Amino acid sequence: MERYSGISPKGDLLLIMRLCGVLKNRAFLHINSTRSGGGVAEILHRMLPILEEIGIAARWEIIEGDKRFFDITKRIHNALHGRMEKITKDMWDYHFEINKKNAERVNLDADAVLIHDPQPVPLIEFRKSGRWIWRCHIDVSNPQKDVYEYLRRYCERYEAAIFSVSKFTKAMPLSEFIIPPSIDPLSEKNMEISDEEIKGTLNKFRIPADRPIILQVSRFDRFKDPIGVIKAYRDVRKYNDCVLILAGSPATDDPEGDAVLNEVKEYAADDPDIYILLLPPFSDRDINALQRASTIVLQKSLKEGFGLTVSEAMWKRKPVIGGAVGGIPLQIINGVTGFLVHSIEGTSFRIRQILNNPDMAKSMGETGREYVRNNFLITRQIRDYLAVWYSLENKGKSILEL
Amino acid sequence: MTTPFEFKQYTSILKSTGKRAKNLRELREGISAVSKESIFHHTYQYFLKAHLLDYTNDFAQWAGESIEERALSERLSNIDPYAFKDMDGLRTEMIKVIDDYLGNFPEPRDAVPGDEFYFNEAVIFVFPAGVRAKNLAEFLMAIKYIDASSIYDHFFEARVRLGGIDDFSKWFESELGKKGLSEKIRLIDPFMHNIEKIRGHISELLEAEVRNDMEVIK
Repeated sequence: MERYSGISPKGDLLLIMRLCGVLKNRAFLHINSTRSGGGVAEILHRMLPILEEIGIAARWEIIEGDKRFFDITKRIHNALHGRMEKITKDMWDYHFEINKKNAERVNLDADAVLIHDPQPVPLIEFRKSGRWIWRCHIDVSNPQKDVYEYLRRYCERYEAAIFSVSKFTKAMPLSEFIIPPSIDPLSEKNMEISDEEIKGTLNKFRIPADRPIILQVSRFDRFKDPIGVIKAYRDVRKYNDCVLILAGSPATDDPEGDAVLNEVKEYAADDPDIYILLLPPFSDRDINALQRASTIVLQKSLKEGFGLTVSEAMWKRKPVIGGAVGGIPLQIINGVTGFLVHSIEGTSFRIRQILNNPDMAKSMGETGREYVRNNFLITRQIRDYLAVWYSLENKGKSILEL
Repeated sequence: MTTPFEFKQYTSILKSTGKRAKNLRELREGISAVSKESIFHHTYQYFLKAHLLDYTNDFAQWAGESIEERALSERLSNIDPYAFKDMDGLRTEMIKVIDDYLGNFPEPRDAVPGDEFYFNEAVIFVFPAGVRAKNLAEFLMAIKYIDASSIYDHFFEARVRLGGIDDFSKWFESELGKKGLSEKIRLIDPFMHNIEKIRGHISELLEAEVRNDMEVIK
């Protein structure tokens, strides 16, 4: 934890140590569906070693499934985001069966169990002991009703649920906490790196450093609107010379990724100033360098769980333009740390505005970094998870003195 | 023997009540039905959040920004939560103000989807900040760098515990015999400053006091 001293707010570190005093050596199990790709896996990679280091017996398990299972869970994911999907009774049964197989394989014994997202949600049926909490990372503010209702029967068996944003919460007979996700300032993706390394990364991908760079880092997913980003960029280019980078990694639990990537490549056609980078998993240093090399970072999502790339860029003092969806409005203070947009036209307008106002870009970047320091660092999230666990052990109390 | 001032730290974790409101009538129903903790969170704890201080509670902010009922927003903002003995008194006053408004403007608009009011409450964690002041000079050093949530706890939250006064001025008066300084601290309007401004005001007052105490020839 000393490594975070001077970086994270002192109050967060103090509370973590206090909570560790009461939860020391107790078992904290996390379960999700992928070890690579996407924000959940990324934060777990960083959080587990820290939890162990501070004396919590933390464990991370993955549920295994075949292509059919992940096709079904992708459909469920899309439906929860509000897209129409047909999930048949057969599919739900298969979803349950795969979870049942995983329950036989994985040791589910722990003092606290955090189940991430809908893929492993039926595991609650195989609960042995401990406090089970469902951690929903996705935007379920406007879900396809029948799909949400089916999942709800599992959710309501948990002791508590955690959502990233107030508007994702549902009226359910269990404690519902609101905890935004976070970034790790010491990870390869966010740590300070040298100018030489940044130049090296640009050279590796043959990206020119002589013009402003507009960047979006995200999976190749329609909800991230990569085509909309290219349209906005083309509009900006009428008066502003700049390059566009769309960078993303494949995720093992996303079967649509290849199709979307091909659509994007086709749409970008032969524009030499659009760089589409399919980075292998764990390309964090390259992403770090690309974010630092950029003038403006975009996260023009149409649907979003939280959109942590926004905080990543703000931590690197970049102005960010983001779609006003999911957790993005929680990170971008409109007009102060960046801009919230609702359309392709809005995106293009705000890019032009920032490109032509370097002082504003600088001030947004500085404010953004402090905002992330106080609200979106990993130490705050660890603090919150331990606090939820401790509060469940002290149910009914709204003030806890430690 | 002076009892040192122990700075405490304050952190809250948000919990949803599952209730939401898309218009003023639903807001009124929500205010009348939610837990005392939820009323507390949306009023007293407003100052813990990094708001622009156009309002003094979440209900007023939502009325002003999301459904654009500015006159109501002004009236809700002018309610002093510390003037009530308990949360139900504050709740009743909020409802009265909304009812009066609805009597004059019975058809307020709905918020756009996604901009509804979400009733939350908080689980509060209080723990030692690991900082202790034995005299005014040490206190001055501490107030300059102590976490903002600590100032919130001692300056805002204390008013609920102590019946309208803050921990700082109480300690200055009872432990250091500084009645004049205490009175000046109590004149800082808690609703008109964010925590950093409060920190600044207290630091200035303390600096003047310490300087005055140090100067042998006035």
